Amino acid sequence: MKQILLLVTIFYALATTVVYGQQNTKDKLKKTKIDHFFTCSLDQFIDTIASRLDITIVYERDSLSRMDVNEHFFNESMQAVLKQVCNENDLQYWIENDGTVYILQQPDDLPRLQQLYKLQQTARNFTPKRIPEAKHAPKHFMFALTGRVTDQKTGEALPGATVKVRGTGLAGQTNTSGNFTILNIPSDTSVVEVTFVGYQPDYFRLDSGSVKRPVSFGLFPAMNNTISEVSITGRKKGVLNTDSRKVSVLQLTPAALNKLPNIGERDIMRAFQLMPGVSATNESSSGAYVRGGTPDQNLVTFDGFTVYQVDHLYGFFSAFNSNAVRDVELYKGGYSAKYGGRLSSVTEIRGKDGNKKEANIGGDLSLLSTNIYAETPIGENSSALVAFRRSYQGPLYDKIFGQFNTSTANNGPGGSGGPTGAAGGGMGGGPGGFANQTTPSSYFYDLNTKYNYAINGSNNISWSFYNGADKLDNSREMTLPSFQTSSGGSLNINDYTHYGNTGSSLKWTTSAGKLFGSTVASYSGFFSDRNRGTTGTITDSNTTTTINNGILEKNKLRDFSLKSDWEWQIASPLKIDFGGFATKQSIDYTYIQNDTTTLIDEHNSGTTAGGFVELEIDPNEKLHIQPGFRTTYFSPTGKLYYEPRLSLTYKLTDRITLKGATGRYYQFTSKVTREDVAGGDRNFWVLANDQNIPVGKADHFIGGIGYETNNWLFDVEGYYKKLSGLTEYSIRQQGGGMGMGGPFGGGTTTTTLTQNFYNGSGYAKGLEFLLQKKAGMYTGWLSYTLAEAKNKFENYGADYFPANQDIAYEFKAVNMYHWQRWSFAATFIFSTGHPYTAPVGTYTINTLDGNKINYLSVSAKNGERLPAYHRLDLSATYDLLRTDGSKKGSLGFSFFNAYNHVNTWYNEYYISNNQVITTVVKYLGFTPNITLSLNLN
Amino acid sequence: MNIKHIHLLILFITAVLSGCKKEDNTAVANRAVVVAYLMPGQAPSVKIYQQKAFDDTSSYGALVSGLNLTLSNGSDSVSLQETATGTYTYSDASYIQTGKTYGLTFSYNNETVTATTTVPVKTTGFTASTTTILVPANDDFPNLGTADSVAVVYRWNNPDSLYHVLVFKNDELYPYILNGGRGNAPANFTINGKQEAGYELYYRTLNYKGTYKVILFTVNKEYNDVLSSNANTSSQQLTNPPGNISNGYGIFTAMQADTIELTVNQ
Repeated sequence: MKQILLLVTIFYALATTVVYGQQNTKDKLKKTKIDHFFTCSLDQFIDTIASRLDITIVYERDSLSRMDVNEHFFNESMQAVLKQVCNENDLQYWIENDGTVYILQQPDDLPRLQQLYKLQQTARNFTPKRIPEAKHAPKHFMFALTGRVTDQKTGEALPGATVKVRGTGLAGQTNTSGNFTILNIPSDTSVVEVTFVGYQPDYFRLDSGSVKRPVSFGLFPAMNNTISEVSITGRKKGVLNTDSRKVSVLQLTPAALNKLPNIGERDIMRAFQLMPGVSATNESSSGAYVRGGTPDQNLVTFDGFTVYQVDHLYGFFSAFNSNAVRDVELYKGGYSAKYGGRLSSVTEIRGKDGNKKEANIGGDLSLLSTNIYAETPIGENSSALVAFRRSYQGPLYDKIFGQFNTSTANNGPGGSGGPTGAAGGGMGGGPGGFANQTTPSSYFYDLNTKYNYAINGSNNISWSFYNGADKLDNSREMTLPSFQTSSGGSLNINDYTHYGNTGSSLKWTTSAGKLFGSTVASYSGFFSDRNRGTTGTITDSNTTTTINNGILEKNKLRDFSLKSDWEWQIASPLKIDFGGFATKQSIDYTYIQNDTTTLIDEHNSGTTAGGFVELEIDPNEKLHIQPGFRTTYFSPTGKLYYEPRLSLTYKLTDRITLKGATGRYYQFTSKVTREDVAGGDRNFWVLANDQNIPVGKADHFIGGIGYETNNWLFDVEGYYKKLSGLTEYSIRQQGGGMGMGGPFGGGTTTTTLTQNFYNGSGYAKGLEFLLQKKAGMYTGWLSYTLAEAKNKFENYGADYFPANQDIAYEFKAVNMYHWQRWSFAATFIFSTGHPYTAPVGTYTINTLDGNKINYLSVSAKNGERLPAYHRLDLSATYDLLRTDGSKKGSLGFSFFNAYNHVNTWYNEYYISNNQVITTVVKYLGFTPNITLSLNLN
Repeated sequence: MNIKHIHLLILFITAVLSGCKKEDNTAVANRAVVVAYLMPGQAPSVKIYQQKAFDDTSSYGALVSGLNLTLSNGSDSVSLQETATGTYTYSDASYIQTGKTYGLTFSYNNETVTATTTVPVKTTGFTASTTTILVPANDDFPNLGTADSVAVVYRWNNPDSLYHVLVFKNDELYPYILNGGRGNAPANFTINGKQEAGYELYYRTLNYKGTYKVILFTVNKEYNDVLSSNANTSSQQLTNPPGNISNGYGIFTAMQADTIELTVNQ
């Protein structure tokens, strides 16, 4: 067997990879022609091929001896012959990275045959040569090895892969660009082991070339169906590698997401919600509620630019196309000084570079949307990817859209009584708004493009562009039901909502010896426009009124950023991360009534700039300390903000890791959720200032312990967050007369809005438990979170009250079972209900003009709890495999909320005929879906 | 399989628990509602109501009788007499005086209900640009045209930025609706003068013919607050209604008034 080790040229060092057994076997199969008439049993045929090509083919003689080959092959390649024979006998062949060919009857045969092969070797006392001999005597000693780990098939970088020098304690992990540096390599003939989840582990022998330039290690994917390891893991399996160095990190690779139940789209943000510490009960938000934080306290970046609108369709789907995403990391707290500007958490999403080896086209078709992508190498050094998806007006879209625009009203005492009518009235509905929902013409789309260019072995440039938007046309004719015989009417409502993001980044990565740098220039724009008008008549108490009004609301945010992060491996136990950043943000918010009256008109802009430095210290093999410091200048307040950070892990034993983190975090831009005036837009972004919107501040304290074996992971983390500078926004309305109370008796037609920003402080604390079974036919995890999130706002009283997102406990069970080509999954979520404020009574007072105003007196702020939330989702996925064992696609069946439990979103109250009418707004019931995914290669 | 059993168990427990829960909103909430408008030269009068249950169709809650209300002006306290059911008064019309702060105290359902208010200084210089207006008969309200032009300009002195409301009271026994007016609008209405020193009345604001009393009330912030409603009624956003009664609901406020007439013809 001829191995070519580190076949590098001076210019294309990174582009080339070690070619091993698999490629060798493939080449032999392709190049060897066969001209022969076979009439024999299949086992004899395979033995013939094996001996002729000098390759190992492993199969079960018993079964294959019962199959026959009767075929004359005329000068055909061995590969074609093998493919044809396998096809005819309903078999598959699979080439492992050591070059061994396995003949499979079922995908699950592979592990068994591998075991069989091993036994045969042991029996014959034979060890195959897996690692090439050293080409030369060691020439270099104690040098630094830098390099990159990639997918052999696509050329995509593999962040988080473990690189270990055999026979030493030296190990490293690839960074977000797939690069690594290991110092003090004993000699240039050392053997390096590279492992990564979902890939076949591989071994590489270094040579003198490894000293001079970065090396590149390519891993072959494991056979699709043998990936029984769960891909969402707390990346802390510290047995082999250094990934126990991080605290509160969740990592996800979208490739295996189709094994989980979905509603219409594989969704990276939804997948995180199945892990402890990330709340799973907010169906109306793809944004992450992490450890008692709100979605706007979670920094979301895509290829380096900040994403301000993270979801589609009222939050039901995340804005990220999983076909364009390479990997995602969610830092639940105590995160590194590299990140800042948010109080709670960080979600870093990295897009795929595009296939560098061969062109590929693929896509998904579901009841909700179509999703297509194409990727291709362009020339020697660059690659490109385009991914697009668009929803269509299918039954699933209508159902979800309807759910968020329809509710059921209960008359009389809350909770009892049957539904009396379908209601609506726009997002959240104006009080008393009842609608006959007509089919709206709404959709969302998003587009991802990426271009990647490797300038040389050490420098890489990539350009990423994202554009996505929702166009919601909720225009409808509204017929008012008659609660009293004398009332009713009809209204035409024009209601257009258009919101979305555009983001783009240009990223340059460079490695120069022990220094690795990444510099990103980016733009991110968010807009949200709403245009709502009402015309028609209302009859109340036998009097008919003509209505004609409208609102126009716009929120626009622009963000120009430049940041540069550097990693410098000074010595084996010491690494320095440092960098700088600058962002210019501008935010416009206008609210125009009846096309003429501008009620709110705000234009703010601000600059944030600063730098960070962080040390990663490993004084010994057990301890890892990461102190950091970040400082930010924020122009609207003209102040400097200092953020010290510290995290550490300690390996008590090989299996037990202790960890802790603390830090200070500031937030300068926040998203405020607005009280719903006439069903307007729900939230928008504001910049902190010196007056009414303070800069948010949080202190994190995190401690935990992890226990990990090869099959099991048990992890406990506790956290405490102290928050201040929280802002809540409310609009008070005078006039207009729609609301309960209807002040000024509806006598005036002009409306006055008053903006109020309430400020307060709060805390969040909790305990998270995770028990995960990582490998085998059955995998999955149990997650339990015990938590508390409370706020104190002077405006609501002197005491702490439960924050809107406060959930006392949340239990999640994720069960996945793999059987041949099938994957079954069942996810179950059970959680305490969200807190809410309930009315306890009603009263009326006469104003000075003699008219009446009705009021609801309410319970303590968020003093009540909605019923417990629970839901079971089921899915079954059938893999479509090619004869060579690679994956062609999959067919997925998904059942959301399988037992159709009614989960309450919120209640709505208004007063009609002096009575209080309670409307229960529900989350989605039982929703089935089918997804077909296919790819060309 | 074990895990599935756990699911079933949890489901069962949930079903049992949720089956037992029942909301009951037929009870009357226990805090009282106070309504009192104090004006210099008028005998003080305070009304106390109960709140209503959700399904109560009556306009007001039941009046509360038999309470001991004390009103004080800082130096001396007086007891109010219950002159009608739930209406408590003090006969001295000179008790309420400009600039003084008044406190109300009584005990209800074992809680002490309190409220305070200060009588504002009377606003001077209340004028109107005209006291008679003619709304064109063929004007098609509420379309553009006259509706969007100013009918009357009211001015007053407000150097201290006090809160004001303009109350329009139609004096007609049976107010006659204007051609194009909004039929369900009440004949009497309030305009928020805010902390300004004037207000421009548009034609479109008027819906009825006849003579109006235009009363400029100098009010306190608490009254202005009561008029501002929280427009959201979802359980995610509900907040307690505005009011200045501690351990109670409603309004206890003092004001001054000045009146100009306005005749609306068509």
